[in-house]
Amino acid sequence: MSNSINQIRYVCAIGAMYTASAIPRVIPITHCGPGCSDKQYTNLAFYNGFQGGGYGGGAVPPSVNASEQEVVFGGNERLKELIEASLKIMKADLFVVLTGCIADLVGDDVGAVVGEFQERGVPIVFAETGGFKGNNFTGHELVTKAIIDQYVGDYDGPKEEKTVNVWSLLPYQNTFWRGDLAEIKRVLEGIGLKVNILFGNTSKGVEEWKEIPKAAFNLVLSPWLGLQTAEHLERKYDQPYLHIPVIPIGAKETGAFLRKVAAFAGLNASKVEKFIEQEEETYYHYLEDFSDFYAEYWWGLPAKFAVIGDSAYNLALTKFLVNQLGLIPGKQIITENPPEEYREAIREQYRNIAEDVKADVEFEEDGYTVGQKLRQTNFGHKPPIIFGTTWERDIAKELKGAIVEVGFPASYEVVISRAYVGYRGALTLLEKIYTTTISASA
Amino acid sequence: MAEKRINLNTPVVESREQRLGTIIAWDGKASDLSKESAYARGGCGGQQDGNGCRLCEARGAFTQGSVCSEQMVECQAGNVRDAVLIQHSPIGCGAGQVIYNSIYRNGLAMRNLPVESIRIICTNLQESDMVFGGVEKLRQSVQDAKERYDPKAIFISTSCATGIIGDDIDSVAAEYEEAYNIPVIPLHCEGFRSKHWSTGFDATQHGILRQIVKKNPTKQEDLVNVINLWGSDVFTPMLKELNLRVNYVIDLASVADLEQLSEAAATVGFCYTLSSYMAAALEQEFGVPEIKAPQPYGFAGTDAWIRELARVTHREELAEAYIAREHAKVKPRIEELRTQLKGIKGYVATGSAYAHGLIAVLRELGVEVNGSLVFHHDPIYDSGDPRQDSLAHLIDNYGDVPAFSVSNRQQYQFYGLLQRVNPDFILIRHNGLAPLASRLGIPAAPLGDEHIAIGYEGIVNLGEAILDVLAHKKFHQDLAAHVKLPYKKWWLEQEDPFILSKEPDVVNA
Repeated sequence: MSNSINQIRYVCAIGAMYTASAIPRVIPITHCGPGCSDKQYTNLAFYNGFQGGGYGGGAVPPSVNASEQEVVFGGNERLKELIEASLKIMKADLFVVLTGCIADLVGDDVGAVVGEFQERGVPIVFAETGGFKGNNFTGHELVTKAIIDQYVGDYDGPKEEKTVNVWSLLPYQNTFWRGDLAEIKRVLEGIGLKVNILFGNTSKGVEEWKEIPKAAFNLVLSPWLGLQTAEHLERKYDQPYLHIPVIPIGAKETGAFLRKVAAFAGLNASKVEKFIEQEEETYYHYLEDFSDFYAEYWWGLPAKFAVIGDSAYNLALTKFLVNQLGLIPGKQIITENPPEEYREAIREQYRNIAEDVKADVEFEEDGYTVGQKLRQTNFGHKPPIIFGTTWERDIAKELKGAIVEVGFPASYEVVISRAYVGYRGALTLLEKIYTTTISASA
Repeated sequence: MAEKRINLNTPVVESREQRLGTIIAWDGKASDLSKESAYARGGCGGQQDGNGCRLCEARGAFTQGSVCSEQMVECQAGNVRDAVLIQHSPIGCGAGQVIYNSIYRNGLAMRNLPVESIRIICTNLQESDMVFGGVEKLRQSVQDAKERYDPKAIFISTSCATGIIGDDIDSVAAEYEEAYNIPVIPLHCEGFRSKHWSTGFDATQHGILRQIVKKNPTKQEDLVNVINLWGSDVFTPMLKELNLRVNYVIDLASVADLEQLSEAAATVGFCYTLSSYMAAALEQEFGVPEIKAPQPYGFAGTDAWIRELARVTHREELAEAYIAREHAKVKPRIEELRTQLKGIKGYVATGSAYAHGLIAVLRELGVEVNGSLVFHHDPIYDSGDPRQDSLAHLIDNYGDVPAFSVSNRQQYQFYGLLQRVNPDFILIRHNGLAPLASRLGIPAAPLGDEHIAIGYEGIVNLGEAILDVLAHKKFHQDLAAHVKLPYKKWWLEQEDPFILSKEPDVVNA
């Protein structure tokens, strides 16, 4: 198997600087070469839905911008000087120091440097995220763990019933994370939970992180990302966790999701059912209106689809497209390189997309190979609709199909608060799919 | 024969700071910077040691993320149409594939070329490769490049990681160059090796000069090399007036376009920061004259530039007729624009030589420019020729710029710099500064198409662009009233954005 990666679909561990800046008023400090920080910004946060750097991202993060000096003599002193200056200049509730290849290769003792500041009571943590250590999914859990262990700290007080910490989509990597997390929070609150969503505009920032140990349980809402964090929290704070691999899109899946969470949390069933009923009433009114189009649009709509992307959205979309719309899965390729130990469980999910539908799933990170696989797929008598990234634009054209950019990189989407999950997101997704489809027709 | 200024004998390019004395932090009047750096007016007094002058540099303890040389290699070598770039690096460097793909696609569309995705391969090095070396993975990726795309050339870029572990990419390149009989070109561009990213331009150009450009050229007397990026095709109609053809390099060029660089009658560019190395080397090695004139911005610059190009290519009469015609054509609209832009204040924050040109155009339009930020400053260009002193040209023809700062995309300094001059709009290139201006209520015109302000039409184009962007003010002022900046009050109240370099202890106060 080749090591080559064309058309990248994830970045390196230091990309988790956007895990830090996804928390309101947290600013990352990067201990790396001059270009690493900019690369994460322009690619993860800019040419991916033009999400924007927000308060603590973009050109804001302090960076060592390592030169030969730091390579030859080490960068401890330079880092110390930079942190000192950052405290004077930058306004943050928490700083997260992330290392790059240079610091990790020359063996800087970042723990010792940051430790001195921690002893002074400065809110600052560090994570070793050199680019060769893994991708930004790996980096995300390293940063999360760093904040929990070095900032949130020990806790053995009482737990708050009906409070949940949510570990779900990877901020910025998933182009729609902001809107999606807001919708996930909304529906969980709807059934009566207090929700620590932790990232994005509806998070209360580090105050919310301080509340993590008090929560009754952790919810891992993704095929695998967040499991390590949840296991760590289970050991550290004696918190149980619920793992739901499918991020719900549409009424059917969201209802099932909420009932599972409610059962785990021991919520009052009638309150839960009442919320679901209200949401379904709204949802199905809209769906009924949509059904005129779906039933009798004259010029045909795509029947087969392919999904190319991270396992979280790949699985969620496949479920929705099959179960809500009755589309036929043609090709599902997962691109974020999930750890081997989780892959069988993911495959199993695809074997049970519906009672009567199972799909094959492949794991492939290299874009050239992804393109070849799509070329070799038999999509039947008419062109497919491809849910993918900017990298699939050419192949979609080649197959005369439609393309909906749903993941990193989505360089031809502008995303602000749009969500594709839950009740409301599903309707937006329908609008996106069919506007794309029919606007290409004439 | 003059001493060779550019050394193409080694695979590693000399950095900008070594060759030109480049600085990335400075603050003062443009005229002082010019005086301190100019070889033609005091300073080194024409001293030709190839190092330019040594300027004082205002660097301090605080820095924000900048840009690296490898990114510039991606945006040049990665944008050659029938070549492949291999990034010998961990996957993080590969992040750049995303931005440069988007720019490449949009650039192709703008030039009416078939749109396609960029062809960059990352070797995706892991922790074990840091211990045992990544050369085998590089070999695999070179083979993949050949098999997947059958390219006319393969570029290999280095990274901080491979620079530190010392992978021998030169040997791998040589091995496959022989095996495939196409240029396989190592580009040494580790981010930590140069304080300014423009060394990445030079690294790419160095590799092309060494391994792609034809060594025994057949001269094409009507061909002009235009060293540019992805800009719209404004040079073809201009040069057509002189019966000259354009050879655009490096972005969006084919390998054949790069091969014929040595066959051209002259070399020009839109920005000496970008074209300096290639143009000087083509003259030194192949006798292709570099046009030594001001850059083609504003009437004065464009007149002089066209005359010099015409002189070198023996087309003086055509040039005079063209200049007269164009002046007459654009002047009425420029007069209107001057009225519309009366009292407006602008600010320029772009690459070095490019800013010199843009300020000239703004002043042609009657826009007041009291401040400018450049990402770096080269006291000298590779030719060493005073006729290319773009900063002096600006000052001599259009006057001084009182608040002229060199700041390597440091957003924290940009705040104070804008407070000094309070502009109505800014012209900008590179991501990261416009978002701050926006939060202060100031609209920015991001010049993605770098050719927008070139030549006579460029004066009109830029004027129209400014009118458009001034209208955006409504959006930015609304936003400014509702956002908080990530900087402490202490910093926002500092009058001198360069205080940390002058009084380092202020951090501990």
